[in-house]
Amino acid sequence: MSWQDEADEIRRRRQHALAQGGPAGIGRQHEQGRLTVRERVERLLDTGSFREFGRATATPEYGPDGDLQGYSPANYVLGMGRVDGRRVVVGGEDFTLKGGSPNAAGLRKSVYAEHLAVQHRLPLIRLLEGGGGSVRGSGRPGGTVGEPVHTEPRFRIIAEALGQIPVVSAALGAVAGFPAGRLVASHFSVMVRERSQVMAGGPALVERALGRPVTKEELGGHAVHIRSGVVDNLAEDEDDALLQMRRFLSYLPASVWELPPRLSCDDPVDRCEDALLEAVPRNRRQPFDMRRIMKLVVDSDSFFELSRGYGRDQIAALARLAGQPVMLLGNDCKFYAGAMSAAGAQKVRRYIELADTFHLPVVNFVDEPGFMIGPKAEAEGTIRYGMAAVSAAATATVPWASVQVHKTFGVAGAAHYGPDAYLLLWPSAESGALPVEGGVAVAYRKELAAAEDPEALRGQLETELRAGRSPFPRAESFSAHEIIDPRETRPFLCEWVEWIQTRLATLPGPVRFSFRP
Amino acid sequence: MARVEVESEVAGSVWKLVAKPGATLAAGDPILILESMKMEIPVETPVAGRLLELCVTEEDPVEEGQVVAILES
Repeated sequence: MSWQDEADEIRRRRQHALAQGGPAGIGRQHEQGRLTVRERVERLLDTGSFREFGRATATPEYGPDGDLQGYSPANYVLGMGRVDGRRVVVGGEDFTLKGGSPNAAGLRKSVYAEHLAVQHRLPLIRLLEGGGGSVRGSGRPGGTVGEPVHTEPRFRIIAEALGQIPVVSAALGAVAGFPAGRLVASHFSVMVRERSQVMAGGPALVERALGRPVTKEELGGHAVHIRSGVVDNLAEDEDDALLQMRRFLSYLPASVWELPPRLSCDDPVDRCEDALLEAVPRNRRQPFDMRRIMKLVVDSDSFFELSRGYGRDQIAALARLAGQPVMLLGNDCKFYAGAMSAAGAQKVRRYIELADTFHLPVVNFVDEPGFMIGPKAEAEGTIRYGMAAVSAAATATVPWASVQVHKTFGVAGAAHYGPDAYLLLWPSAESGALPVEGGVAVAYRKELAAAEDPEALRGQLETELRAGRSPFPRAESFSAHEIIDPRETRPFLCEWVEWIQTRLATLPGPVRFSFRP
Repeated sequence: MARVEVESEVAGSVWKLVAKPGATLAAGDPILILESMKMEIPVETPVAGRLLELCVTEEDPVEEGQVVAILES
């Protein structure tokens, strides 16, 4: 007697799993312009690298004689595979089955995803689509209610994962409730234009609670959540979303116990770009393009921006210098002069913590006029979030280089300089407690009020004070490591990357204060 | 032909009008320049098209998200 019957049954059940929600469910998914979870996994991973877990996990229906009458696969697909040759854990809801809302078997697999990735110290990729829990089937008399008191909190592993392994998530359809929470509990999240919506609660809940009809797109489309900061990046289609997740992971180690992977670099480390010499206008009223400056300095084609639509006064990007992955931070003076808003401060805090968690050196291109001021900024609590950003910088553990491109003023300026920062000044650098214009109005209020020609006095004072803010006296006083020709920025930073290698090697392991959503 | 509303991304005041109604503009061309936080911030055309209307004049205050011009693309 062999086990041939059982072997046949195993094969049959695997075919059931691959059949997902059947032709109707798959057809519905395609009609709506979306891929199935299995198609997503196939496109995400290196060809043939997927090793699935729990293909036989399902909700079976047995007849009175114990014969299998119906069989619904778990609506969560989970496994390991490779991305650009590096091993990862991947999981995602199967929306062709029961609308992605977890069935019992699917829930077990989805909850296990974080455990699996943490256990093996591998990045976790979540392909999210679907809603959260349902009242259907709950509250029936006679059954057990709630989780046993000895159950480990389900969200602990989600929180702990953020301090141990890279977690990246894509919203690839409507995502609400628990899946929306998972999306946000990530180091990087992405949504697809007009195909994804993200909501704590969907339109039916909103109408019931608030009496207001609203569409999914109005509630949680990209126009809302790329600005709210709930989702980091926007993708044009699903392939773009998968590509952005792969790209994000390429800068990060597999876990906090490793270092970010340094690549070989074809871009000459001594490349000097003439355009940098005139990148900052002499006319202080004219804005300039900080992203262009950053791109001219880092390794060619290595600039990958994060959260561009949120906290737009600040710029955050991953990039490489001499092949070394780095966290780039900086100010965008085209948006309120780059003054740090409540949102901008939260963005800076979050990305400093990302850098700390995964041992990414920080390179900061500074043009900070100070915290945003005015009634709106006060109502948003700017100074509180601002101090969180300053605290994150002040306690950072990673090597840090700051290039003072233009302004550094006020307390907000401190959010751009980590401990022991390598400090380079451009000739356009100016710094102080307050920008000269506002500072003169405050410090010389009485003199200006008494002057015969207040405007002439204001101009004279501003000119005198500005002369004192030239970077040359600071260089003379060794308040920076070097004042440089802007064209020398890349060679200086690439040389610094070599110096920091020994210190980086001491960093692997969890940090004292790691990443939170 | 589509009507495109051009919004200001920042609050400020109109410092200078650059383009005139009827002008043909390429994507990224400046329509007007705002003064915001003591800086001159251009409001640029998001898409190529013909400028139908300027909704503000010089020295007007402008709110974040306010429509300042209408294009035909």
